[in-house]
Amino acid sequence: MERSDAEPSDAAVIAASFDDPAAFATIFDRHAAVLLRFLVRRVGPDAADGLVGESFRIAFERRSGYDCSRPSARPWLYGIATNVLAKHRRAEARRFAALARLPRRPGGDPPPAAVDDQVIAQVDARELWPRVAATIAALPPGERDALLLYAWEDLGYEDIAAALRIPVGTVRSRLNRARRRLRDVREPEDGGGEQRSTHSEDRGRIGP
Amino acid sequence: MSDDLDPLRRARPDRLQPDDPIDPAVLSDERERFMSTIDQTGTAPGTDRRTPSIYPRLAYRDEAAALEYLTRVFGFREWRESRMEMPTGMLAWLEVGDGVVMIGRAGAEHHDLSSPADAGATTCMVNVYVDDVDAHYARAAAEGARIVMPLEDMFWGDRRYEALDLEGHRWHFGERLSHVRERLDES
Repeated sequence: MERSDAEPSDAAVIAASFDDPAAFATIFDRHAAVLLRFLVRRVGPDAADGLVGESFRIAFERRSGYDCSRPSARPWLYGIATNVLAKHRRAEARRFAALARLPRRPGGDPPPAAVDDQVIAQVDARELWPRVAATIAALPPGERDALLLYAWEDLGYEDIAAALRIPVGTVRSRLNRARRRLRDVREPEDGGGEQRSTHSEDRGRIGP
Repeated sequence: MSDDLDPLRRARPDRLQPDDPIDPAVLSDERERFMSTIDQTGTAPGTDRRTPSIYPRLAYRDEAAALEYLTRVFGFREWRESRMEMPTGMLAWLEVGDGVVMIGRAGAEHHDLSSPADAGATTCMVNVYVDDVDAHYARAAAEGARIVMPLEDMFWGDRRYEALDLEGHRWHFGERLSHVRERLDES
């Protein structure tokens, strides 16, 4: 990553923390913000409160089990945070329900200074989002975990496998299943047969 | 990377609502709490956990909320690796100084223990000596504790205050006045 070679790897820091527990602070400093954002995306800011600390406390306690052949601790930390999230499925369901209702800013956005690709992409995402959110919310937890680590956290298959402690083949099959479900959501619209969301009110046909 | 998941990538919540940043104070608070956990854990986590000869168990309707409250407001330190989580409730051990309290869920199936919130009355008070009762009071008050007796110097030689926790258990936090004087002389 962007760290210089002079800095020790996560694995080296964790090894050092066996004798010097305070060294583990470096792991916190390197990854806490990323983990916090991950947790907030999944359960929202209120429910995420305290979870990043909990994740790191668990990581600290389990540091003797860390596989020091892996230089970056990030997948391992994502795995721990994912386990922590498992206790907050209801918060996550509420989060996705709230996200699905995300208003298209009543009265319209202030007109963007420059209409670039990104703005268009955002509008496009807002149109599609309510149905996607409902589908994600209804996924089996294992599929949702893998899918969101892949699409939102940009983890590769290997890292997801390490995080969730499952074989790479299982990562692949979970992602494939999740993709199929998402495709089913989009297909009617892409096919043009179905009207594009005619109203701000999103009708009931969401979810599998 | 570009594929059929692009719409999902674009719909990441912080991309949909990029004006919703995380308060940086959240992380520094978390770091502080995390470091205090590390400091008390020592070099060998899970060892050197002596339980005192007497330690009470308090019952709560919502023991998870109680755990959060007691650590945040009163600064208790959880023995995190001791925590037991079961579908029927959680048990946690909280340390302060050389004392320990155990917290769990209220109910007939949990040793028939009641929360004051259900019983309609408080039936015991837990007395705790702390190193710096002024700082302890300031923290608890800032975190929203229900102070029911203000911080005062008492005739028996303690500076103390009393507070109710989120479900009405009563806590008495004190420091010997001799200790208070030593502390103030040093500073």
